[in-house]
Order: sequence, then C-alpha cells, then structure tokens
Amino acid sequence: MTALPPPGTPTADLDPLSEQYEASRERLGIERGLDSIDLVEIGDSTMELNMGPMHPSTHGVLRLVLNLDGEVVRECRPDIGYLHTGFEKDFERHTYQQCIPYTDRMDYLAPLFNNLGFALAVERLLGIEVPPRGQYLRVIMCELCRVASHLLWYGTGGLDLGATSAFMYAWRDREKLLDINELVSGVRMHTSFIRVGGLMADVPDEFYALVGEVIKTFPKLIDEHELLITRNPIFRQRTIGLGTLNAADAMAYGATGPVLRGSGVPYDLRKAAPYSSYDHFDFDVPVGRTGDVYDRYLVRMQEMRESLKIIEQAFANLPDGPVNTSDRRVALPPRNELNTSMESLIHHFKLVTEGMRVPAGQVYQAVESPRGELGFYLVSDGSTRPYRCKVRAPSFSNLSALPYMVRGELIADVVAVIGSIDITLGDVDR
Amino acid sequence: MGLSNELSIPSPASGRMLLADADAGTIVLPRTGAAERTAVQSGIVTTTFGKLIQWGRYSSLWPALFGLACCAIEMMSSTASRYDMSRFGAEVFRASPRQADLMIVAGRVSQKMAPVLRHIYDQMPEPKWVISMGACASSGGMFNNYAIVQGVDKVVPVDIYIPGCPPRPEGLIDAVMKLQKKIAGELPGTLLG
Amino acid sequence: MSGARAADLLERELPAAVRRRETGFGEETVWVGREDLVAACTLLRDHPDAAYTTPILVTAVDWPDREPEQPRFDVVYMLRSLEYNDTCRLIVQVTEDDPNVPSLELVFAGMDWHERECYDLLGINFTGHHDLKRILLPTDWDGHPLRKDYASFGEPIAFTHNLEWALPAQERPRDMPGASR
Repeated sequence: MTALPPPGTPTADLDPLSEQYEASRERLGIERGLDSIDLVEIGDSTMELNMGPMHPSTHGVLRLVLNLDGEVVRECRPDIGYLHTGFEKDFERHTYQQCIPYTDRMDYLAPLFNNLGFALAVERLLGIEVPPRGQYLRVIMCELCRVASHLLWYGTGGLDLGATSAFMYAWRDREKLLDINELVSGVRMHTSFIRVGGLMADVPDEFYALVGEVIKTFPKLIDEHELLITRNPIFRQRTIGLGTLNAADAMAYGATGPVLRGSGVPYDLRKAAPYSSYDHFDFDVPVGRTGDVYDRYLVRMQEMRESLKIIEQAFANLPDGPVNTSDRRVALPPRNELNTSMESLIHHFKLVTEGMRVPAGQVYQAVESPRGELGFYLVSDGSTRPYRCKVRAPSFSNLSALPYMVRGELIADVVAVIGSIDITLGDVDR
Repeated sequence: MGLSNELSIPSPASGRMLLADADAGTIVLPRTGAAERTAVQSGIVTTTFGKLIQWGRYSSLWPALFGLACCAIEMMSSTASRYDMSRFGAEVFRASPRQADLMIVAGRVSQKMAPVLRHIYDQMPEPKWVISMGACASSGGMFNNYAIVQGVDKVVPVDIYIPGCPPRPEGLIDAVMKLQKKIAGELPGTLLG
Repeated sequence: MSGARAADLLERELPAAVRRRETGFGEETVWVGREDLVAACTLLRDHPDAAYTTPILVTAVDWPDREPEQPRFDVVYMLRSLEYNDTCRLIVQVTEDDPNVPSLELVFAGMDWHERECYDLLGINFTGHHDLKRILLPTDWDGHPLRKDYASFGEPIAFTHNLEWALPAQERPRDMPGASR
C-alpha cells in the first residue's frame, strides 16, 4: 500500500461531485464504480462475489464482497453489522452490576475479559482496589479464558484449512477449561464471574485440584496440537507468506494483539500498562517477524504456553483473604449482618435495586484480550447507570485491516487470513 | 382483549396450542399445513411405509450451519468430542441450505440478519424443521432493544424452542431427540401429496 | 499522567488549537477546536516526541441538556503511542445543528471504520470521508440509536394485564395500543 496522502489534501473540504474529489479517492486506492456493495457484477474480466453472511468459514456472520479477477482478489469490502446488538445502548439503561452479564456476551469467546475491562473501569472511577486474592483469582480465570479462546481459534482455524482433527482435539481440551468455569460460577460460558468490586464469590475447594491438573497436563497437550499442525507441509504452504501486514500499517489500522505482535511490534498491555497484578508475574511476549498468517499462528500457540506460566505462578502464590472489596459503596453487606442490622438490610436493598453510585468523570480502561486491546471508555454523570460506555473492540480494528491483507491473494486464502485475525463477530458488531 | 386473571396462555385464533414439556423445559409445537392436509389420504399400508420414511428422515437430520453468536459455540461443543451429536445422525453440518433439512438458529438475530435468515429458510427444500436455540432466538433474550428481533418465530416457523443462555450441549441434543420423536409422530405428507 | 505528553506537545506547537485541558482519574484530556483537529492529529502522529500512531477509538457523547449554552456532542478521539507507551484523548465539541467534524481517515487508516460507526450510531458527520455509510445498522435505518432521544424499544414483557403481547404479531388485535414492531 502506498503511503497515505498528507492531510489537508483535497478531500478535506470538497464537494463530492467535483473532479478533485474523485482524484483523491483514487489516491486511496478506491476505484470508480465500486461503491454499491449490493451489486453483483459479472464483467468481462472481473466478478463480484458475495461471501457470507452465512458461510462456514467466516467465523460468524460476516459478509465480504470480493472483487475477483479469476481467483485473485482485487478488492475486498467487508459488510459487518449482522450481529449488531446495541450493547452500548443497553449499558445506559442498566445499573453497573446489571451491565456485567451484558459484557459477557460481546466477545463471547473470551467473556471474562469483557467483565474484567468493565469492572476495572468502574473501579477506577470509584477509586477502589480489589484485594490481592481477588486480583490473583482474576488473573488465573482470565488466563484460563485466554487459553480456551486460543484453543477455539486453533480448532476452527484448523477446521477451515481442512484439519478436522484439530477441531476435535481443541474441544477435548477446551471442555476441561469449561468445567472449571462451571465449577466456579455454575455456567460454562458467560460466567459473569468478575464483577465490580471483585468476584462473584470465592472459589470452592475442588478448584485447586482442577487447576493443578490443567497446569500439569496442558503444556503436553499444546505440544500435541503443535505436532498436528506446525510442521505440516500443507499448512505451511498455505500460510507462510500469506496476508502479510507490516508493522507501520498494523499500527495505522489500529490493529492490536496477536495481529500487531505477529507483525513484529512487541506491545502487550499486560506488560505496558499492567492491571490486576499482572506485573507480579514473569512471562514473555511472543513476537512474530513478517506479519503473515504463520507468524500469527506461532504467536498464539506460544501465548498459550505463556498463559500457563502465568497461571502456574499465580496459583503457587495465591494469597489468602477476601476476594471482594470491603468498600461499602460497592460491596454487599455480609449475610450474617442482614439478620441483625436494619441499616445493612436497607443498604443491601438499595445496592441491589438502585445500584452503586459512581462519581462523575470519564475513564478509559484497556485490557489485553486474546484478540487485542479491549477497551472501555466509560463516562459517568454521577448516577447509578453509565452515561455512555463505549467499547473499543479489538476485532473491529483488526478486521478493518483485512481488505489490505487479502488484496492480491487467492480466494481460497481469504479464509486462512480471516482465521488468522481471529475475529469474534459479537466483538466487531457489538 | 380485556383483563384476564388466568395465568395460562390462551390459544391463538388459528387454534394452535402451546404444549409445555415436563422435562427439560423445551416446548413442542405441532406442525400445521401440509402434514395435516394429507392425513386423510394415508391408509394402513402407507402408514407402515410412512413410518419407514419418517425413520429415515429423523435418523439423519442434516443441520444447516446457522450459528450466529454465543449459542453457536455451544452448538459446536455439542458436535465435538465430548457431546457427540453425530451419534444421533446429525453429524453432517451442511454449509449449503439446499442440502440441509434442519435449521438450528443458534444466536441472536439482528434486524439486519432477519431477511437473510428468511432467505436461507426459503432456500431449504421440504421437509424442513427449525430449532430455535437459546433465549435470544426464542424471544429476544436479554436484548429487549432496537437491534434484535424479539424471537426468530417472527421470521420463520419454529418447531422446538430451547431455553438457556447459552443452553448446554445436552440441551441441544435433547431438543434434537425431541424433534426426532416429533418427526416420528408426523405423517410424511409431502411424499404422498 | 496519561496523555500529558500529548497535551504538552500541543500546547507548545499548536497553542491555538488547545481550548481546554483537564485531568481526572489519572488521565489528561484536551479539548481542541474543530478546525485544528487534523493538524493536531497529524502533529501527534508525526512528531518524534509523541508518535501517537495507533488510533484507539472515535466516539461521541451526547449531552442533550447542555444546549444552548454548550454544544450537544462531545466527539472523543483516543490515540495510542506504542513507542512512549501512552494514550491521549482529544475532544471536539459540536452542536446539534452543525454536527460536522473533519475526517481523519487520511491521517490514520483505521479511522475509516471508526468514523463510520460514529456516524451510524450518533449522527456525527465526518466531512471529507470518502464513503460515510452506515456500518452496523442496515443502510436504510432511520435515526441514530445512541442519541439520548432515541427510544430503544424491543417488546414489552407479556404479563396478565397485557396478555396480547404473548400472541404472534399477525394475531394481535388491530386496535392494540403501543407500537407493535
């Protein structure tokens, strides 16, 4: 892609019907006549093909309009919004704790990160600190969630490229992690385990056995997964050199997470802006070299191992104590008090029905989700409901780089590139 | 209209009745239309033949891939290693609706997606069944807002509803089994008519 | 203080652009004028001391009760500098009658989709954008849902006093009150 024209160039204040406007659009690489996304033109040399929204390999309801020259993609225009749910509007109608189950359903492959980001944003506005045990448990649950999400990416990515066994192997291991979710919160996905002020509850005793089991067995299981795919010549041929995104363009598009790290930029929010005690743990950040599909694959596989390292350290050093903050503005009173104290009962009632009152202000809190930088821009007006909560979705920005990545590739490779970006349509469309 | 103190849902004008199933909480709707019309045409010989046809139909249901959101992940779980749905004949998830006979609407249907959903349903050949998986597909779920269709039965006729957010894979398998029982009870009207 | 680097740089190099500067909750926010937005962002992107190369988000916050004393919309931009590990926030205020802001799509490639989303959900018009279409909602949708005067309506829950909502849409009584979508 050529360098962007400097700002202040003709499109800035122009009449769309004038000639200079068309010339500026050409500089952006948009050819004439390709505006209407609904047309299917079969021309002499090129064809427009519609891919999706119902498609086995688009990882959800994503529609791509591909302008093809034979099998080579000349232009790809994504049409998103088929899963738009209006989360941000719903946030404005619910109290802060009521928003937590909504956050689960946005990036539904890694629900705990949404919970964590939102809870951290509210806690910053409130100025409260979660006790160390709560923070460490948050880290353990989130990293387990990251491994589960990467396993799902691995399984579906492999399935897209024809490796059906990868799908079955990945799910075999993912089920063990979902068992931990179920033990701790009662739900396999969408646990809403991380709440404002701490966690839903402390973990039961069987948790330690299950997590110990994961720490012991998963490194070997991940080796098994790598054995299936990493050195496989078909996989390598299909992914090396494909969908390259260089570092400067990755940054310009706002790509974050493994997409950015695969392009060689060693930026990870857990290291750069640590939250929830991530700075207590020793782990590495895998970085790719060329930014192609294979590099992103390697980055994610290594990230799974690093997550297991973090879980091991957090588990070994898990402190004792409460998991929820004791700040009465947020925390429900302990149950034994409800039997004796009228004020506690009223306080409990008000906290549950009205919600917690959060000071006015604006804050931006980002967490490193498996897809990239998941950010919550929270504006409060001092009441019990968020005034505006904008979710910065990593898949949205990563997907905006897709047209650039697939230009010039074969249509069969589009599927591999989409798999490597690891999008979640709930995240893209919110 | 008018105020009513009863707690039961009245039967709508068309005479359909909603039967709540005692176990697992799924709701079964009897099918109207083609099956009922040709009921009078089948006699004793064709009943046995009909049973055979229906056995063939329910034992190898081919779902069309219609995973939209989080329920799709649980749908994938139900076909994966632990809860293997191919034991029930529903192994082959067809990407093309023209080769499928079961549409499992798994996930929330947004306003932009609803016409696409109807289009895919229309592309499926008869006989076809629809399972509405999860709270969002059944009724709009927790999203009572501008963007989500409040129940996929506003767009396509549904045979089985599965509650849950998301329903467990066992719930989906139970729904498929209930659908199989329902198909066994139906008459193969489309073959004879 | 997150964003202090950007605010200091803007005050040094483009003092006319900075309308206001505020700190809160560990973050610094700069209010810039609409005319200076493109120049400010280009400076933040290109200046070696700043290097804010990654766009994080573009959104707007709707304060309908502020008019006519203050403009209704706060269009919020956030940028991230990977080199200096910093985020900054710029806010441009626009009124309801004139919700136009210059597009930053030529400054950051990623701003393209973010601006389309902001237009789609809030109705902010980004002048100079090559193709400002709706991105999340169908193209023929009416209204901008995240504005405070847009009532988000799904369906009332059917209780015994409004039992007709339990019926399918075709079978509801014709004279039923309330919007039946």
